[in-house]
Amino acid sequence: MSIRLLALIPVAAAISLALSAAVDAVALPLFLDTTGTILATALAGPAVGIATGVMTSAVNTLRNPTFWPFVVVQIIVALYAWLAARAGLFRSLRTAVPAGLGLGVIASVTSTPISYFVFGCTTTGGIALATALGRALGLPPLGACFFGSFLSDFGDKAVTFALVTSVLHGLPRRTAARFPWALRAIGAA
Amino acid sequence: MSRLHPFTLLAIAGALPALAWILAAPVGGGWTATVALALTLTPGASPRVTSTGSSPGWRTGLVVLRTAVLTVAPFWLFLLLLHDVPTTIAIGLRITTMVASFVWLVAYLLAATLSAVPLLKARAQRIVEAQRCRGLSPRGGIGARLRALRALALPLVLSALHEVDERALALETRGLVPGIRRTPLAPPPDPAVERAVRWVLLLACLFALVRRFVVPGFS
Repeated sequence: MSIRLLALIPVAAAISLALSAAVDAVALPLFLDTTGTILATALAGPAVGIATGVMTSAVNTLRNPTFWPFVVVQIIVALYAWLAARAGLFRSLRTAVPAGLGLGVIASVTSTPISYFVFGCTTTGGIALATALGRALGLPPLGACFFGSFLSDFGDKAVTFALVTSVLHGLPRRTAARFPWALRAIGAA
Repeated sequence: MSRLHPFTLLAIAGALPALAWILAAPVGGGWTATVALALTLTPGASPRVTSTGSSPGWRTGLVVLRTAVLTVAPFWLFLLLLHDVPTTIAIGLRITTMVASFVWLVAYLLAATLSAVPLLKARAQRIVEAQRCRGLSPRGGIGARLRALRALALPLVLSALHEVDERALALETRGLVPGIRRTPLAPPPDPAVERAVRWVLLLACLFALVRRFVVPGFS
């Protein structure tokens, strides 16, 4: 791994953490905590993306220990983003947003068993409330757990994919060319 | 605690939560939570102590213990609202172990983790304020909010990516080149006892894991 890609990992993890804190300013129910993982994967491939995801989860764990088991979701996100980058799905918003919606489904399917079996579906406040809403609607425990994860992940991942696509297209061509996967991800190579 | 080798601290902080989830509830979780909370009281567990190098005393340990208890309290409340008492105790003790382990692990990890996070958070705040000065409102419908989010995220991410080259150059200047073994000026002491303790912790986790899945009735 080159030094540039090594330097990208903490920067991308910091992007995830800073964005998930800054999203409060627009009062949208989004996490954006996988932005750095998807961006790093689209720029530099799956190894850098997975390392970024693990780093993001590790730092998040210092703030809230319940984040650590969800490191699996970050790894799945990185692998999915790699496939999306290989397929050139970051070439426009019309391809990126559906890909993000697909990731939302996969992420919620992945996080549901972790949330259910490890924490009994009691994780962070917003998701726990969505889960309680699912139970109030008469869903079984596992179904309510999936309902909470799905509500939180579906739109979040679509917006994240759209953001990453905007960033990749906003990068100067010289800067993008320094990362091995950037041009291919936007369909320019 | 601060005199221990960083890998030993890491091994303890990793082994305690692992054992909390592997051992049978609620006894296993109770023991690990007790050990983890006791470790928060250990002098030297606070980042402030390692930075000043002064004798810590018990007052700092009590501050770390209070942080751990206050951090874990909302989880207990959520569990109690959504579950019966045995489940609440089983999961709550395990989460308490995780929180208490990671709270004092901060002493080790904060020194090595991302210095970029607070910088980017501050920059994001400046961008939000600058955009507001230019009349961009983060209020209104979803479309307006998403446009405001894009106006915030793009400059933040692009400026962060431009820093990657600077960081790479700085790392190369400091000799971080692939294939070269670095020689620390003052490596932390790593006595044989601590190496043995790390192996014992690893073996204890493996033993508990095997026992959990092999021994019938042990759940």
